Amino acid sequence: MIEAREAIPRISLLWLLAALLLLIVPHVVRLPLWVTVLLLSCMGWRLLIYAGRLGFPGKLLKISIVLVALPLTVMQYGAAGVGLDTAVCLLILGVVFKLLEMRDRRDILIVIALCYVLAMLGFIYTQTILATLHAFVCFILITATMLSLYRDNARNTFKDNGRLAVRLVLQSIPLTIALFVLVPRVSPLWSMPLPVSSSTNMGLSDEMTPGDITNLGRSTELAFRVSFTGEAPASEALYWRGLVLDFFDGRTWRRAGSTLQTYQLNSRFPTDFRGVPLGEPVSYDVIMEPTQQSWVYALQLAEVSARDMVQDRNYSLITERPINQRYRYQVNSYLQHQTDLQLSGTQRARSLQMPEGDLNPRTSALATELRAAAGTDIDFAMAVLQHFREQPFYYTLTPSALGDSSIDEFMFTTREGFCGHYAGSFVYMMREVGIPARVVVGYQGGEYNPYEDYTLVYQYNAHAWAEVWIEGEGWVRFDPTAAVAPERITLGVESFFQDQPGFMEDAGFSMMRFRDTQWLNTLRLRLEGLDYAWNRWVVSYDENMQMELLGGWFGDNARQGLLVALGSTIALFFVLAGWFLLRQTHGTRHDPATSLYMKLLQELAKSGVPRQRGEGPVDYSSRVAIERPDLATDMRDVTDLYVRLVYGEKSGAADVKDLGNTNLVNLRLSTRQLRRRLMTPLRRLLQACGLVS
Amino acid sequence: MTPIVAMNNWFSQRMQRWLAARVPAVSHVLLDRRNIFILPTGPGLLFLAATTLIFVTAINYILSMAFGLAFLMVSVFLLSILYSFRNLQCLSLRGLGAEPVFVGQDAAFAVLLEGEGQRPHEMLELHFPGQRWSHADLLDNSQARVSVFLPARQRGLLKAPRLVVQTRFPLGLWRAWSNVDLAMQCLVYPVPVAGPLGGHVLASVSGKSEASLAGTEDFHGLRNYQAGDSLKQIAWKSLARGQGLKVKQFVDNADDRLMLDWAMFPGLSSEERLSRLCYWVLELDRGDIDYGLRLPGLEIDLGRGEVHRRKVLSALALWNGSKGGQGDRSA
Repeated sequence: MIEAREAIPRISLLWLLAALLLLIVPHVVRLPLWVTVLLLSCMGWRLLIYAGRLGFPGKLLKISIVLVALPLTVMQYGAAGVGLDTAVCLLILGVVFKLLEMRDRRDILIVIALCYVLAMLGFIYTQTILATLHAFVCFILITATMLSLYRDNARNTFKDNGRLAVRLVLQSIPLTIALFVLVPRVSPLWSMPLPVSSSTNMGLSDEMTPGDITNLGRSTELAFRVSFTGEAPASEALYWRGLVLDFFDGRTWRRAGSTLQTYQLNSRFPTDFRGVPLGEPVSYDVIMEPTQQSWVYALQLAEVSARDMVQDRNYSLITERPINQRYRYQVNSYLQHQTDLQLSGTQRARSLQMPEGDLNPRTSALATELRAAAGTDIDFAMAVLQHFREQPFYYTLTPSALGDSSIDEFMFTTREGFCGHYAGSFVYMMREVGIPARVVVGYQGGEYNPYEDYTLVYQYNAHAWAEVWIEGEGWVRFDPTAAVAPERITLGVESFFQDQPGFMEDAGFSMMRFRDTQWLNTLRLRLEGLDYAWNRWVVSYDENMQMELLGGWFGDNARQGLLVALGSTIALFFVLAGWFLLRQTHGTRHDPATSLYMKLLQELAKSGVPRQRGEGPVDYSSRVAIERPDLATDMRDVTDLYVRLVYGEKSGAADVKDLGNTNLVNLRLSTRQLRRRLMTPLRRLLQACGLVS
Repeated sequence: MTPIVAMNNWFSQRMQRWLAARVPAVSHVLLDRRNIFILPTGPGLLFLAATTLIFVTAINYILSMAFGLAFLMVSVFLLSILYSFRNLQCLSLRGLGAEPVFVGQDAAFAVLLEGEGQRPHEMLELHFPGQRWSHADLLDNSQARVSVFLPARQRGLLKAPRLVVQTRFPLGLWRAWSNVDLAMQCLVYPVPVAGPLGGHVLASVSGKSEASLAGTEDFHGLRNYQAGDSLKQIAWKSLARGQGLKVKQFVDNADDRLMLDWAMFPGLSSEERLSRLCYWVLELDRGDIDYGLRLPGLEIDLGRGEVHRRKVLSALALWNGSKGGQGDRSA
């Protein structure tokens, strides 16, 4: 506005480089190495320009850098398509290139605006406490850069800029929190490309080829965290039900495709929902890690109130959108329940489906034989479990590979497997004799965090079990794994597999390795608890949670209440901040000597010798000496010092200053003495007892 | 006048009238909420644009922390209103006036800035609309003296327009400003233009005669009779014409005295004459001689020194042809 081109103060450049460097750090892991090198060299070049060692690059060089870097970047990410990673990389490159042609204030302002956007981009990848702190520090650095840009005076130092920037940002926090809580959250305006990072754990897949789940046993990644409103059910009751796999092709269990068509997206439950809750529900709150898949886990029989979630005919919870970031939902589960007392024709057909051809004759023969011996369907199921228990079956993370007759090979040859093998074979045998049965995948158990009172479910908790339809009872859960290795369920997978090779193989040096060291484990659980609280209350604060929270405050008129609260909070902020920042505006400032003297005058006035209007200090002193002879000496000392300090020689010379300081100390002493004399005997007594100051 | 120009004029007149009522002209102004205005700057709008971008991204990706970042930006934006305001609040401005200048120079109006409260006032910028900026900071010292410049284009009294005092502290997102009228003015002397004293007038400096001009012989013009004038020099013809008692004016080369006269520069316009007179005043002031000034309707006696020079130059600056009609076209 003033001059069209305004030079950039040198200190601003240093602030900016610091901010930019810090901003780029978390992105480095995702950026190709050559980009990082290029970024650092550009910043180094700019530093050399700053130091006067190098000039700005010529036009030709600038153009050629861009012409090389741009296609290289697109090529680099070409395989993954032009997604968010490419965009982030290009933005960072753009900002850093801009450094090399940034000459005036307008240029640097654009870079600063982009820096704020860069600070935001980090959150697309992670929103942990650490990431937030990082962005916060970056924010302060960027703010300090802006501050230094306009402050061409003696205060434009790192210390003063830093201090003011910190103050500004800290003072803004109360309003930020209020806005965070109160600004109405809305649903996404349009769908955006999402980062599909290779490190994102996909969780369970919607098909199971026995052997699949073993991979998950190696992973210590978190699947979800649960906090129960009341007491948590026992670990062995925690069957986190995910999907029902009811189609078997001889090797792989899948979802029967047509189930998808029965989704009723607009109703909470399907219209012909046949679950019968018995007893009281347990209610809990789940925060799920991103899976990129559109189903979530809950204890059977679940009742959910989230708007973007439905339950399909198999009682699986299906979300509208894939879960691409941490997702929070609340569930009431009736652990005591009955489901599908009547089985529809399609359901029955689907639960009896068998692969074409007779690939597993020995298993079929075994099933027929056991069924004939058993009285009821339940007896038969129990007999199969007993078969697993009594025959030398092994529960292992590293089973042998299976051929075409996978069931037969497992049942009679290898006899070692993970939950998927047992559940699959169990269901196969049920279906063989005409009992409707299906495989269910999900998680089992979890680690309880006593410090924050919630349960952690990891990828290695992944599990598969069976559901069998019994006449008069509906679907009944059977866990063949529990028959083979009951400790897997009762003690938890981590203690069961502790010494097995392969378990937690991918954990690297994660703290999970040290769960045996008591204090390290405590520390791990505490940190984990902090992260959980952060996620539960801050990161997953969304439309639903806002309405829930504010509904409690404002009742039915939550929307209006929200706006009123928002308006009044901003007004309150301005009143308070205004009062805090703008007060003490008209007080005249006294030098220390005068304020001491003024205080003394007040006390003298109280004791009956007020100074007259227009009376000079010396005149006043003599009058006090006459009226109160007891104060004469002290008053004379005080006046003498005061006059010397206030009206005496004033200059910056060191000796005069020293003299002034000595006089001030003396004045302070004399005043104190005089004031003590002025005290009433009662007050003196009280002070002696330390009752008044 | 096109309608738009008319409207602009109307609007700026209205604005001036409103300002005059709200921030009246006084030599001392204390800035407070009545006379401080605040609006966002260009960079402020850019900052808001970045905030909006972050906000929209936060909505679309449902990123709580990006919401937090956007809200922090909004909060800082709002808070800096208070900081900007506070930076001007309790700042007092006192117009100290300006030293006289010649036409074509910049008048430097001195303004004394004083902090009435206890806090510093940083990055203060002052200017007259359309002119260059002066900067000031009141950090630890509670007062500062700033010169604000205004080009002097015309002889006479230059009234300072409203002074803009503004700050973009702390982040440059807001511009807090005030338009104050400190009722300052500056005397503008005519621009000095070198030129010979009129054809038959002797410029006598330090007693050395020049050219063909001879003391009592050289008629220069008429002036009113003063006690002590030589009878030989009385212009009898004028008296006879009923023009009063006049004395023929001669330049006396024997004397260190010179009466500068309007009539010394025949054939020139008034402004040109004033400029030449101004030049000679400065020249003579440098030499060791007494000089006086005679303008139509105005006469300053011989004298010398700083005060005298100022008096003469002010007369040149403020002379108004319409007042003194006599002898305007003499010689």
